[in-house]
Amino acid sequence: MQFLYTLVISLLLLSINSYASGDLAEGKKIYNETCVSCHGVTGASDTGIQLTVKPRRLKDSILTTKQMAQIISEGGHAYGAHSDMMPAFKYVYEEKQIENIAEYVSQTFNSKRDARVKKHLSEENVKKIDAKKMHKIGKKIFKRNCSLCHGLKGDGDSIYVEQSKANKEFLFPYDLRKTIMSEDQIFLIVKFGAHYWGADKEDMPSWKKKYDDTKLRSVAHYVKKNIVGTD
Amino acid sequence: MKKIAMMLFIAGALSATLSAKNWVIDQKGKTFIPSKLTVHVGDTITFKNSDPFAHNAYTDDESNEFDVGMQPTGKETKMTVNAKESFNIECAIHPNMLLEVTVE
Repeated sequence: MQFLYTLVISLLLLSINSYASGDLAEGKKIYNETCVSCHGVTGASDTGIQLTVKPRRLKDSILTTKQMAQIISEGGHAYGAHSDMMPAFKYVYEEKQIENIAEYVSQTFNSKRDARVKKHLSEENVKKIDAKKMHKIGKKIFKRNCSLCHGLKGDGDSIYVEQSKANKEFLFPYDLRKTIMSEDQIFLIVKFGAHYWGADKEDMPSWKKKYDDTKLRSVAHYVKKNIVGTD
Repeated sequence: MKKIAMMLFIAGALSATLSAKNWVIDQKGKTFIPSKLTVHVGDTITFKNSDPFAHNAYTDDESNEFDVGMQPTGKETKMTVNAKESFNIECAIHPNMLLEVTVE
């Protein structure tokens, strides 16, 4: 009886394991067929491909597996990217296949993501202030700094972007209204800059030398509450 | 006595105006060049932009309040130092740009 019980459990574990690795194997297969030409074999975007907008270094991405799957499915533009260089793969792959790609990227290249995010959030030093004051600080900084690229509405349309085009210094600020990032993720991008989290350039710079965590958290709070989801 | 005082005041003001200096700061490579400046009240600071993108120099110092707004490549703009109070000038777009102005 005990032998039978052990056999059943072993078979069950084996089936779960082979299912998981089967998922990853499929994710890997599709990644290597489709994603690799832009994002590279190790997710380092080191393929040398000449694109106006350089692909993200997936190995440094702040996005969760679920968020990655959403972007693979709907394309980057649907979630605020300026261009549609990252296309919508929902027309090519099934939902489960897309989840497998995201899982493969998360587990293979970006396995340190959660630890990085957790570490930085644990080091956050925010003074306790009420929501009204936080809104006031966030709004002031957004208007003073962020809006110059992202626009007052956060839609990525600004004079700075237009002037930079004239000099062929192309900038592609995100349409923040469409972002799927959490307040914590916005805070970490504002604090460390987009390059740290996988963007090619430092066009979205790190603001940690200029503002303390309380002010940076206020900006993230303001963006999440007042910009994201607006038209 | 009143006339003498008035003449001295005018002479002082005239001398300050005549001795006022214009300092030139370039914005290049996302840096203010030079990054430190010692000036006197009445001096002016001209900001050039040699970068291929815009800058936005400003200070929040109340005595010497100044905000260029968007300054495209090649455009120059000027501020006057109004108060004997040292201040910092930053760029609203590029957070690592800092110009320390000491007013003597």
